[in-house]
Amino acid sequence: MADVELRNITKSFDKDIGLEKVSLKINDGEFVVLLGPTGAGKTTTLRLIAGLEKPDSGEIWIDGRNVVNDSPAQRDVAMVFQQYSLYPHLTVRENLEFPLKSPILKTPVDVMKRKVNDVAEVLRISHKLDNKATELSGGEMQRVSMGRALVRNPRIYLMDEPLSSLDAKLRSELRIELKRIQAELGATILYVTHDQIEAMTMATQIGVLNNGRLEQFGPPREIYENPSSQYVATRLGSPRINTLPVSIFGGAPAGSALIGLRPEHIHIGSGQDCQVTRIEHLGDQIRLHLRLAGHNIITLTDTHTSIKVGDVIAIQPNNPIFFDANGSRVV
Amino acid sequence: MPKSAIERAAEVTPPAVARRIKGLSDRAIAWIFVTPTIVILLAINIFPLIWTIWLSFTNFRVNRPNNAVEFIGLRNYERILTDPDTWMTMQATAHFLFWTIFFQVLIGFALAYLINKKFKGNDMWTTIIVLPMMLSPAVVGNFWTFLYQPQIGFFNYVVSFFTGVDPTSFSMIGDVSLAPWSIVIVDTWMWTPFVMLICLAGLRSIPDNIYEAAECDRASKWRQFWTITIPMVLPFLMLAILFRGIENFKMFDLVVQLTGGGPGSTTELTSINLKREAFEKWRTGFASAYAVILFVTVFGLASIYVKALNRVKAR
Repeated sequence: MADVELRNITKSFDKDIGLEKVSLKINDGEFVVLLGPTGAGKTTTLRLIAGLEKPDSGEIWIDGRNVVNDSPAQRDVAMVFQQYSLYPHLTVRENLEFPLKSPILKTPVDVMKRKVNDVAEVLRISHKLDNKATELSGGEMQRVSMGRALVRNPRIYLMDEPLSSLDAKLRSELRIELKRIQAELGATILYVTHDQIEAMTMATQIGVLNNGRLEQFGPPREIYENPSSQYVATRLGSPRINTLPVSIFGGAPAGSALIGLRPEHIHIGSGQDCQVTRIEHLGDQIRLHLRLAGHNIITLTDTHTSIKVGDVIAIQPNNPIFFDANGSRVV
Repeated sequence: MPKSAIERAAEVTPPAVARRIKGLSDRAIAWIFVTPTIVILLAINIFPLIWTIWLSFTNFRVNRPNNAVEFIGLRNYERILTDPDTWMTMQATAHFLFWTIFFQVLIGFALAYLINKKFKGNDMWTTIIVLPMMLSPAVVGNFWTFLYQPQIGFFNYVVSFFTGVDPTSFSMIGDVSLAPWSIVIVDTWMWTPFVMLICLAGLRSIPDNIYEAAECDRASKWRQFWTITIPMVLPFLMLAILFRGIENFKMFDLVVQLTGGGPGSTTELTSINLKREAFEKWRTGFASAYAVILFVTVFGLASIYVKALNRVKAR
């Protein structure tokens, strides 16, 4: 395992900007999650680190060495592809053995067997080891694809939405499993997702990408509580942060144009009157849809509430976040 | 709502016919549709096959229709299989088959591999390479006799240019030792593009991300070629071999145009030999037996091969 650092990486495809001046440091043993919508440059970042793409400018340092001109093999990284990329003509076992058979590693047969069995056990695919890769379900393929990375001991694991094709139950199980493996191995992982729960639960650091730029980089709590921009604030939190013109409540700092209200920033009981337009019972929480001066607000309330649709309740901000007209944070 | 084709067809069906059709089961209607095909197939495929098998046990000659047809058992088969000339033509065919497939697969795959690399104008090159395949075999046979001409032939000129051998000192289609190679060269020239196209389809079917995964798994280009490219193209390659094998087993037109089976009978492939027996010597019974032997050979080889092909695909 090793430190990985991107310095001012820029990459464009034809005329589209893929990444723009991205700098990012992943320390040894960290679990870094890149969060962002489709096209934000998450996968491009992984491919650049893996060596499958070459940056237009900037440097990539792995373990104290600039690897921009190295081949993927020289970089010693393991990648889990979103589209599985299994070797279709090989069995699951052969797929898992493939990286170990690299002449660079020269793995003895018994070690190889043990590693493959261990990984298969963890990912619960032991019973499928002798199946052909094409005879698996999507979820199984994805696990084999992860297994192919985990059998190795690379400098960094690069994972491109590895859980996206799994069902909810398996996804939450593997999320915990992956976190456990990472802690056990002390592995360095760069993980790409658009799922905020994955990001919040697994990451030691989160990087939020927007249109090829790294908007903010920091621990999950900090990203959630202290977002640097309106964009970052909307990426985390469920229900989403509500943004309203500051004029509605007043008391805003100079230069701010928008007020950002997460459910925990909304105090119910006093302040501005608004109407309850809808109530969603989600079991562990109740979502209130409110209408205030022509704006929609979604917030949470406790599960034993007596509030009904059509009621008028008063709300007021409690420690909200302010943004200027461009969406930047105002402190 | 607009009416479907079936509804419109139903409307224009005369009431009398409609009434009769209504009484038919689906199965009966299905039979009505397939019967013409079955009749034609029986008439032009199955009946001649059975008739040929029957004739192969007789001494029938089609140019002497008034002679009594005698049943002579396996005498025709015995004569063919003990005739050294038959084995000569079999050898010539085997030589032709083996080397044409060998060169076509080798060159065809190499060309496909090169064309598959992303470079400017590879579509244009594909078109140019594929051209020979589109020509008529008779035309190809004919103009290669010019190319092989010792005094003015381009082929001899090129050989002499690269090796310094006097171009008039050898004749590709006149020389007993060179003639078998002359037909191999022409067939390879003409049909390598076909093998290339099939290989290209195979190569294009391998997604890029598999190579990327292999790249990350630290497999060298050499290992990627042998563990990914070859196994994944192999079913396509085997299909190409099957097609070329069957085609070349019955090769006739090109070789007849080019060498006419000569010199002597060095390039007399089985199908040419068969045609001589049947339509020059008019030994119909004998030729029928010959045809049956060839049919069984091709059919047997092809079925063994298809089994192997399926095993490769299932792997």
